[in-house]
Amino acid sequence: MTGPWWRIGWRNLGRNRKRTALTALGLAVGYIAVVFMVGWAEGISAELIENATSLVSGQIEIHDEEYRPERSLYDTIGGRDGTDVETLLRDITADEAVVAAAPRAYAGGLVSSGEATSAGSLMGVDPEREVALTRFLDPLVEGRLPVPGAYELVVGEEMARQLEVAVGDELVVVASAADGSMANDLYTIAGIYSTGLVEFDAATAVMPITDLQALVVLDPGRIHEIAVATADPAAAGATAGRLAAALGAEERAIAIAPWAELNPVLAEYISLADSLYWIFIVVIFAIASFGIANTMLMATFERRREFAVMLALGSSPGSIVGSVLYEAMAIGLVSLALGAAVTGPLMIWFYTAPPSLGWLYGNVTLQGALLTPTLRVGINVPAWTWATVGLILTALIAAFYPAVRAARVPPADTLSGL
Amino acid sequence: MRSTTIGLTVAALLAAAVPAAAQVDPLEIIDRVDRLLRGDSSRGVATMEVVTEHWERQMTMEIWSLGTDYSLVRLRAPQREAGTATLKAEADIWNYLPKVDRTIKVPASMMGGAWMGSHFTNDDLVKESRLIEDYDIELAFDGENPDGVAVWEFRLTPKPDAAVVWGSIEYRIRQSDDMPLWTGFYDEDGELVRTMEHGEFTEFGGRTVPGVMDVYPADKPDERTTIRYEELEFDVDLEPAFFSLRSLQRRR
Repeated sequence: MTGPWWRIGWRNLGRNRKRTALTALGLAVGYIAVVFMVGWAEGISAELIENATSLVSGQIEIHDEEYRPERSLYDTIGGRDGTDVETLLRDITADEAVVAAAPRAYAGGLVSSGEATSAGSLMGVDPEREVALTRFLDPLVEGRLPVPGAYELVVGEEMARQLEVAVGDELVVVASAADGSMANDLYTIAGIYSTGLVEFDAATAVMPITDLQALVVLDPGRIHEIAVATADPAAAGATAGRLAAALGAEERAIAIAPWAELNPVLAEYISLADSLYWIFIVVIFAIASFGIANTMLMATFERRREFAVMLALGSSPGSIVGSVLYEAMAIGLVSLALGAAVTGPLMIWFYTAPPSLGWLYGNVTLQGALLTPTLRVGINVPAWTWATVGLILTALIAAFYPAVRAARVPPADTLSGL
Repeated sequence: MRSTTIGLTVAALLAAAVPAAAQVDPLEIIDRVDRLLRGDSSRGVATMEVVTEHWERQMTMEIWSLGTDYSLVRLRAPQREAGTATLKAEADIWNYLPKVDRTIKVPASMMGGAWMGSHFTNDDLVKESRLIEDYDIELAFDGENPDGVAVWEFRLTPKPDAAVVWGSIEYRIRQSDDMPLWTGFYDEDGELVRTMEHGEFTEFGGRTVPGVMDVYPADKPDERTTIRYEELEFDVDLEPAFFSLRSLQRRR
């Protein structure tokens, strides 16, 4: 970007520094707004996905292909014969993208204490593996994890409140067993968890998977689910595909579903948020472009006589247009530098150590995911690149009409004062 | 004098008309069948066989009932579950679990759940004998079954304010002896949900009643629950106090 027209354009910025500064500031604020909104929206999406997929469910879940959506007690992985759970877990964790995997079993039943009884879902987990995978049992609100074989369980905070029980109290658990009997036993509450998802906390009692299998008469090889955590939630779909091939999902009649399939509403919300970025960019720069157009129009009108002289001296109208556009581009670059200087450090700060907004909102639940409001931002390179391109384009498009008008100044009339 | 004559004439005309109209009074028949099957109180022993896709099991149970408000069922077999009991008192159901020696009240949200793993729901126990209270009853069919037995078929639709789970019930009763033969339960969309068949009409305690009852869920044709009475006596001496939580917990 050299040549006389570029230099003229650049120097013209200095003719009215206040105006230049204001115009550049206008564009820079627009840019900052876009970068910040995209970053924040991306941060919310990332937090939604992480929360929805690391609180209770994994990023990938493996079931018998018949299991969802009825979630029947009998549809265990591998059918009636069950499966070799340890080998299956080893095969799953062999994938490079898999961080952790844990087996689970479920049953429906009643949980009761004294007068109070509530319908509940019983969830059997491998406590050690579960805490490596999900967050809801670690840390517990109170108490500790249940020990296998000790008739212990943990319940949600809301269930404990409804049943008026505390750590150390006894609960009667009744469930329909796989042999048709009405299974029942006494358990001690070892701990209380809280996911913040009230419905889940009110309805789910968690016990060691071997204890649940013993209660509802399922063999140790019969589990309903393997939850899988992956390093990158965004790549869960690809990982699920790889696992399906590696495990031979089709021959074994198992279904391997990434979070986007398990929680389609969340997946839809994320893609909707993505498309909203474009609306941000268009709206903000459209507003900014009118500001630029106005300034450039005034600047070129002021310099009518100058353009007339240049034209009279033999400059082509094209080079007049060029000089005005170069000027606009220069403003754009200045704004970009200003915007980047402001957003860069802020983005890095918000990304690495997001300041909490808890004092403003409290906790929010959205699409089954718990949000702790922070000024967390996510990274979205394409959207930011488009914001940068958008800024320069805005400057150029806004300056185009003033530039054309400047090139059409009639030299003789203008110079004669008409 | 004259008005009395007219009055008498009208009364005589009415008297002549009434028997014809009352021949088939749905309410009266259903009520009669109901009373016949239940008596004021009863005690019996029955076996319940449940067949599902995944398992089959058989239970023996002792059953007491008093009016429409109270009943108590206690398992005698299988040994592992003996003593397990269900108490129904008015609209509530409690289960007694001998293994943990605890009584649990079935919460409202579980009233639609299976009772003892059978194809009966807890709600069936509560709602069993309030047909004439909860439903409008009309005669849908008066004639012969394909096998030549004269039957009435009644169509029961819930009264507007009745808290019931069925959209409608079809109830087929044998005309000769008021024996129920077949009952169809439909949901609100008119889809058949389950059917109940009565058979092996047997004399128990001086009354002839169905000795066997089969329930078939419509969506799982291979499944069924069969209840077969071994003993049954009516109008036994029972007090409401018998149907208390304390008596529920009494182990046999």
